[in-house]
Amino acid sequence: MKWVVLVGASLLAVLLAVASGPTRIPLAELAGSPIVRDLRVPRALLGFLVGGALAVAGTGLQALVRNPLADPFLMGLSGGAGLGAVAAIALRLPGPWALPLAAFAGALAAMLLVYRLGLVAGATLDPRVLLLAGVVVGSFAAAITTAIVSLSEAEQLRNALLWLWGGLSGASWSTLAVIAAYLPVPLIVIAVSARPLDLLGLGDEPAQYLGADVAPLRRRVYLAASLLTAAAVAVSGVIGFVGLIVPHIGRLAWGHRHRTLLPAAFLGGGILLVLSDTLARTIVAPRELPVGIVTALIGVPVFAVLLRRWVRA
Amino acid sequence: MRRSSLRWWIAGVLVLAACAPRRRHPPVVRAPAVTDDAGRAVALTAPARRVVSLAPSSTELLFAVGAGRQVVGRTTWCRYPPAARSIPVVGDGLDPNVESVAAVHPDLVVLYQSPSNGAALAQLQDLGIPAVVLRQDRLADVARDARILGTLTGHPAQGDSIASALDVVAARRPPVAHTRVAYVVWDNPPIVIGAGSFLDEVGRLAGAENVFHDLRAASAPVSLESIVARNPDVIAVVDDSTAPATPAFAARPEWRAVPAIRAGRILHLPGDLFGRPTPRAAEAIAVFARLLATVR
Repeated sequence: MKWVVLVGASLLAVLLAVASGPTRIPLAELAGSPIVRDLRVPRALLGFLVGGALAVAGTGLQALVRNPLADPFLMGLSGGAGLGAVAAIALRLPGPWALPLAAFAGALAAMLLVYRLGLVAGATLDPRVLLLAGVVVGSFAAAITTAIVSLSEAEQLRNALLWLWGGLSGASWSTLAVIAAYLPVPLIVIAVSARPLDLLGLGDEPAQYLGADVAPLRRRVYLAASLLTAAAVAVSGVIGFVGLIVPHIGRLAWGHRHRTLLPAAFLGGGILLVLSDTLARTIVAPRELPVGIVTALIGVPVFAVLLRRWVRA
Repeated sequence: MRRSSLRWWIAGVLVLAACAPRRRHPPVVRAPAVTDDAGRAVALTAPARRVVSLAPSSTELLFAVGAGRQVVGRTTWCRYPPAARSIPVVGDGLDPNVESVAAVHPDLVVLYQSPSNGAALAQLQDLGIPAVVLRQDRLADVARDARILGTLTGHPAQGDSIASALDVVAARRPPVAHTRVAYVVWDNPPIVIGAGSFLDEVGRLAGAENVFHDLRAASAPVSLESIVARNPDVIAVVDDSTAPATPAFAARPEWRAVPAIRAGRILHLPGDLFGRPTPRAAEAIAVFARLLATVR
């Protein structure tokens, strides 16, 4: 029953996103409108995939570091992506795909640096070291980014920072195709780790005794979650709260078993982002809000209500 | 031959100068006083002789009122007129380095009106350095600020004449034939120019109707869908490069949904004339009108 509701809500969210926008298009003309075909449909689908990817990455990371505050962007990836994007603009890298590619490269560089630092304390990727490495690498990248911005002609780079706040206005069928081809591999890597991730919740040693290979599991899940996040940041900037709050909502409603939690988080993240983006496009039309603001405005109250119910129960 | 013609020139100029009626040179105010754009009273004991200009638009305006030689400091971005490049740089215009400003011993600092300049203004006051806060966003601002800077630097006549010329430009009736334009300043997120901008005014006087004139802000992020829906005839981009190239975003698939982008109707507006409010508004309007004619 829960699944029917969730899948139904996913479909409804995408349909709502396609049917609404700053331009009024009668329902009968939806199918033939180039605005719907070239802009709204790819944007709604991309939003769903990005939201789902962020929620799955957040779920995996929270289990990995056993810390409820873990967020896909806590691990320094947003700092790395921001540095990549700002460097691309400051160096005037040419081409229509320069910005997303540079952001992706920056996120990957941050990921590898954090990963390398995380291994300092041993092959098991100690969660405390990993979190610390993530925060430190993120701050370092943010410092370089701010240095570039403050030394350059401000106008364009301010706009780059606005892009970093998150938005799906770069959505197109080509972007969607790239993301749809890219996401399955890291998603599957995390999905097949569902059972060992459950065991990890018991602590490293019990998990080891129960048959989870803790060290490779941590490395695998960290890399897969980071690859999901890097792709998300490349096509839509830093969209906060989806990866932090959706896993918690999922746990409150679905329990802690990752075999059900991961798909539920994927659908929940997709729904949250698609609905948020629909609001971001329409409430101040023709202007547009950064979608990360809306995800926080929707996600936090929903989370607060669920949390109260859960604590009372 | 050349030498003697030069001598004749000098003689002629001297004669003309002597013949000019005295009344045409209004007396230079000994102790100029104005109210600046922040509503502050600015009073100097004598016209400023050492001015630091902390905004490209003020630097250009100082040169226009004839006070270029009195400017002793500028920002990195003050590059027009070309003579401005030889003035020492004192840093940035927003949240400026007050120490390097004070180091050139100015008797007037021109600040751009912005919350991030509040601290600098207070520090200059503590140092006893007079400052004038200007906000040049629209044609009327340029006219008003021309008078303010003319008065403070001892060139009130030039300030007045620039201001009246700009008033005449602003009062012109815009051409009847018009082209619908969207001014795109950034592509992701799409940011366009609204009614609060100098470019919107210059465009209107050149015969361009800003399809986002309903936005009151100088610029704002909008959804790409609304650009498609408003279907401008032309996309205008402000371009700093000397050899304008098609902007990279024109090749992005989502931007191909905009008919003007698909048809390649993209106008490049040179940044030094259109990127900020300037006293050369009449020239900007003429250049804009010529550019519009190429795509009409």
